[in-house]
Amino acid sequence: MTAALVIENLHKTYVRKAWLGKRVEKPVLRGIDLTLEEGKVLGLVGESGCGKSTLCKVILGIEPITSGTVQVAGVNINGLSTAKWRDLRRKMQVVYQDPYASLDPRFTVRQLVSEPLDIHKLYMDKSARENYLRELLNSVQLDVAFLDRYPHEFSGGQRQRIAIARALALEPQILIADEPVSALDVSVQAQILNLLKDIAQKRQLSMLFVTHDFAVARFLCDDIAVMHQGKIVEYAPAEELFAQPRQAYTQKLLSAVPTVPRGAL
Amino acid sequence: MTQAALTVQDLHLSFLTDEGALPVLRGLSYTLSPGKILAVVGESGSGKTVHALSILNLLPPNARVDQGKILYQGKNLLSMKSSALRRVRGRKIAMIFQDPQASLNPVLTVGEQLIETLRAHKRISKKTARKQAAELLTKVGIEEAEKRLEEYPFQFSGGMCQRVMIAMALALSPDVLIADEPTTALDVTIQAQILRLIKELQQQSGMAAIFITHNLAVAAQVADEVLVLYAGQCMEQAPASRLFSHPLHPYTQGLLGSLASVERKEERLPAITGNPPRPGEILTGCPFAPRCSHALKKCFETCPPLYEKDGCKVRCFLQEGK
Ligand SMILES: Nc1ncnc2c1ncn2[C@@H]1O[C@H](COP(=O)(O)OP(=O)(O)OP(=O)(O)O)[C@@H](O)[C@H]1O
Ligand SMILES: Nc1ncnc2c1ncn2[C@@H]1O[C@H](COP(=O)(O)OP(=O)(O)OP(=O)(O)O)[C@@H](O)[C@H]1O
Ligand SMILES: [Mg+2]
Ligand SMILES: [Mg+2]
Repeated sequence: MTAALVIENLHKTYVRKAWLGKRVEKPVLRGIDLTLEEGKVLGLVGESGCGKSTLCKVILGIEPITSGTVQVAGVNINGLSTAKWRDLRRKMQVVYQDPYASLDPRFTVRQLVSEPLDIHKLYMDKSARENYLRELLNSVQLDVAFLDRYPHEFSGGQRQRIAIARALALEPQILIADEPVSALDVSVQAQILNLLKDIAQKRQLSMLFVTHDFAVARFLCDDIAVMHQGKIVEYAPAEELFAQPRQAYTQKLLSAVPTVPRGAL
Repeated sequence: MTQAALTVQDLHLSFLTDEGALPVLRGLSYTLSPGKILAVVGESGSGKTVHALSILNLLPPNARVDQGKILYQGKNLLSMKSSALRRVRGRKIAMIFQDPQASLNPVLTVGEQLIETLRAHKRISKKTARKQAAELLTKVGIEEAEKRLEEYPFQFSGGMCQRVMIAMALALSPDVLIADEPTTALDVTIQAQILRLIKELQQQSGMAAIFITHNLAVAAQVADEVLVLYAGQCMEQAPASRLFSHPLHPYTQGLLGSLASVERKEERLPAITGNPPRPGEILTGCPFAPRCSHALKKCFETCPPLYEKDGCKVRCFLQEGK
């Protein structure tokens, strides 16, 4: 069995040309080893600026690798041809934090969700396409009547559902989710978290779920990786990590998490 | 009876836009007890920031106060002359803004700004002010404070600017601190440190505070009392211990119930259905009624009043006559 993602000794350094042609280097990922097992949800938790989004961008091929290897569904992504990337992107999709920024306002929901299908020439038959779109919208619990509306007509939670539908359109095996609920209204976050959990189970998705919220990670994730200054400092099955965090850094983070006293609810 | 530190009475506020006047606050009332921390919790767009800005008359030009009073030491801040209000701002009532980078001056070093603030309000030498400024930065968890004083705001991260703002507000030991999401951009460890600091100041100097947040766990950590805002109205106000152990409003119950817990793994989160009302949406009846599983027919027709009992206030017909 191959793992969904295998990352080995991954380094990423941002380089900026400064004054007088001087190169300023900023090492952000500093030797990441991480495996996302097939069909599992892996939580990537860490404080602001530790490199979580950078890791996602490298996995998605948006940022080049400095050194080390990333394998997506058994394929080494370094130096991959455009055609090979397109194949791979069919298997791996992404949902971002900000549902306002990630959907092009000029397109209707139908166009937004159809676009990946057009690119990969899938469901080209009109009625098959229509049925599939309806099925997709149903799976993210959106009314099919929304198909011909524009993103600005929706609330944050609805927009994130649209983004999820778009990501699922190609039936990917792997979903990269970079803080998908942190920009949502508090009363809507739970809806989306339940949805992601259902979808992951039903579709046997492998998901890399980035969050800075341990409570959310505990709800959704099978395994958890704690990241600190560009390194993975602890990696464990979620319940093990919460019961017995081994690293001092994890302990420090967990003890600082504010909690709501649970009463007679 | 001791006088309240701040009283907000029936505040109605709208924004004048191309689509007409959009109501944002719809009769907000509460009192802040002296020396207490009141957390105002609510979702994005519920009116938390706007309400805070109205206290010191820092509203954008297209905002209009339609009705209501904000009383501080017996005077209505909303009708105070700007010269008088300037004397209140900072020294008596200090504010930490949600957007810290925008509220620091980009062309002055952090040190210059802190020193200037300190000297504007206290009769101290530059040297003393400098020493105090460094101490303040250390207090809010910024390392190598001496060196950091020489830096400009752009050299600070968002979280560090936030902490500079906190340091500045606290430097003046105000009677009332208004803190708008002061820890939202911060990591949990620094957040915990800032919350401790605010609590400490409350205990040492008897400062009262309005602590605005959308994070219920943060509110639970810091507040003596909690006010739950929804669509510009107070849904429930109660002592923190009471609110978290016995929430009375279905919205409060729903919110608390839907939170994931770090202490145990849940299989499913009992989510509230639907979405919060949009800005300016015309609301007849209770604003939460469309999402409420207990809603009665009348909940869609008239907005319930705030029912008061044992120091708790709840805007819900289910509490009628209880
Ligand atoms: N394009 C870039 N060029 C240079 N530096 C960058 C770039 N993108 C990110 N960085 C820096 O890399 C570090 C890691 O950023 P990244 O966005 O990966 O963090 P993160 O863990 O996702 O944080 P957050 O929780 O705030 O989203 C930060 O110091 C950031 O300033
Ligand atoms: N300058 C403005 N013009 C028009 N409408 C505005 C303006 N500023 C705020 N609003 C509207 O007023 C409402 C309340 O905004 P406010 O900033 O108080 O929300 P908030 O509770 O602080 O939300 P957040 O948690 O996102 O900070 C929102 O619907 C917002 O769109
Ligand atoms: Mg990020
Ligand atoms: Mg705000």
